[in-house]
Amino acid sequence: MPVDAKLSHTAAMILQAIHAGHIYGFSVMQMTGLPSGTVYPAMRRLERDGLILSKWEQQSIADADQRPPRKYYRLTRDGRATLEAVYQRYPLLEKMIPTPQSKVEQRV
Amino acid sequence: MKRLRFYTPSLAQINISAASLMLPRRDRDDWTAEWTAELYHLCYCSATHKPQADPLRFSLGAFPDAFWIRCNLLRSAALPLLQSGSAARCGIILSALAAVGFLLCLCLPRARTALLPFHPFGPADLVMISGASYAGAQAPTIPLENYQEWQTDTAKLFSQLAWYRPTIKNVYVTHRHTARLSVALASNNLFRVLEVPLPAAPAAPAAPAPNSPRLILSRNAWRTWYHSDAHLVGSTASIDGRPVTIAAVLRDDHGRLPGKVQAWLLEDQLSLAQLPPHAKGFVFARIRNSAFPAPRGGIRVMTDARDGVTHCFDCISVDWLARQPTSNFLFALLLACMALPATTALPLGDYPRRRDRLALGFHTRRWVFLALKFVLVLAVVYPASIALAWGPSFTGSTAVFLQVATAFLALLFAFRWILQDQRRRCPECLRLLSNPARVGQASCNFLSWNGTELFCDRGHGLLHIPELATSWFSTQRWLCLDSSWLCLFAETPSPSPGMV
Repeated sequence: MPVDAKLSHTAAMILQAIHAGHIYGFSVMQMTGLPSGTVYPAMRRLERDGLILSKWEQQSIADADQRPPRKYYRLTRDGRATLEAVYQRYPLLEKMIPTPQSKVEQRV
Repeated sequence: MKRLRFYTPSLAQINISAASLMLPRRDRDDWTAEWTAELYHLCYCSATHKPQADPLRFSLGAFPDAFWIRCNLLRSAALPLLQSGSAARCGIILSALAAVGFLLCLCLPRARTALLPFHPFGPADLVMISGASYAGAQAPTIPLENYQEWQTDTAKLFSQLAWYRPTIKNVYVTHRHTARLSVALASNNLFRVLEVPLPAAPAAPAAPAPNSPRLILSRNAWRTWYHSDAHLVGSTASIDGRPVTIAAVLRDDHGRLPGKVQAWLLEDQLSLAQLPPHAKGFVFARIRNSAFPAPRGGIRVMTDARDGVTHCFDCISVDWLARQPTSNFLFALLLACMALPATTALPLGDYPRRRDRLALGFHTRRWVFLALKFVLVLAVVYPASIALAWGPSFTGSTAVFLQVATAFLALLFAFRWILQDQRRRCPECLRLLSNPARVGQASCNFLSWNGTELFCDRGHGLLHIPELATSWFSTQRWLCLDSSWLCLFAETPSPSPGMV
């Protein structure tokens, strides 16, 4: 997907949530307040367009916590570039879902 | 409440399992594992009490997710089929055109009549007598007085003659309800001449008036106005205040006589004689074997000289009339096939003779595709020519000429296109070849060769088309490329798309 592609507000929120470290589907739901029927199809679409990438976490980590392994998502290089472009369209996005880095900057 | 809370994760898991059925088998396990893991985390690891943390509500989101994945897979699978130049796209476009042509025919009443034969029954010696050639098959043209005179004068030509005239009559249907139906006043031998068997009427519940005429209903009128009453036959109806006996209900395929008739009122000759002598109607007749030698199809002109004036009438074979649009089309097809070699070269080119195990599929696919295009073009042109010729209110001979002319031109150009299209397709994947490049110099034609080269986007091979046909290079030639060339081509066949 080109960098200047126009994302919907929902997709932009999900992208920002993943960027902010909410890497699991349910975490994205909690962060954005969107229902599962919106978040998961949107993440599939973002993954299809090459903006995010999914991976299964290691079995050993899941075994240590005595739970099934979860699938996590992270931004690709295109995803990061798209997000930078999206900030111009949705200026409040960073404030709505702040990344740990921006939180530190705000405190400073 | 506690029990409900205990069952909720199980119900949510059932929802996820049900939604997973929408996915292809290969993606199902991965997808279910993700949703199950998230559900587990929600139920046993999360401390949030937000509404979306309700397991049941969370699991309902699995349905739109599975549905989206399924739709996306279908779209990905359909995309290569609809790509420009693909064989599937060509087939889909031709099929759509054929469907449009047939729909158009069905929407135009006259074209529908031509497409669906109006008289698929009747003996071989049945003819229709018309005063206006083919137009007489659509509108009444024979005055009653002519019919009455022919009954005695043409005994040597025809064994039986029947006449009917469509009119609009008020039919008393049920209590306090009168319908305006298209009723044909017909001679009482009409269905005997047509050889349509009429079921014997059961005993009438109420005694009909003596010598009351018989009313034959079409199946459509019986359904619409009498609500498919099974006990209708034998009862008495009233037409313009005159009692008639409902004698039978015709089958659907017997109701396609010209004139859009909903019911036939069979009258004796005395009652018919009370009509105006100039009232025009349709005449059907059975020709005598001795009068017309075989074959008896087509049209024969009958002259009627009275008072020094000669009138010409056409005796049109009903069997031939029913098959006329098809006959016209077949005639146009024959003309187009004969003219085709004059407009384009017939050879499809030299293709290498393969001897591997895929050789049969390689050749069969090409020929099947070619045959399919011919069939689809026929399916496009046939209804289109009928709609164009018979749809508007043209007279019979104009319609015949129009149908033959349009079908001939359309078939000729379509066949030409089929052959040209076939020559420009890759024999492996049947996609259109692209990127034509001129090679060689015309001045060096006898030393080297010049012409055009096209190649398959998927790297299956090159097509050489000579500029001038020579004894050693008379027609286009296909050169297969092996798999080592594939790296040069951007569009190589990719594996089927799946979920990441």
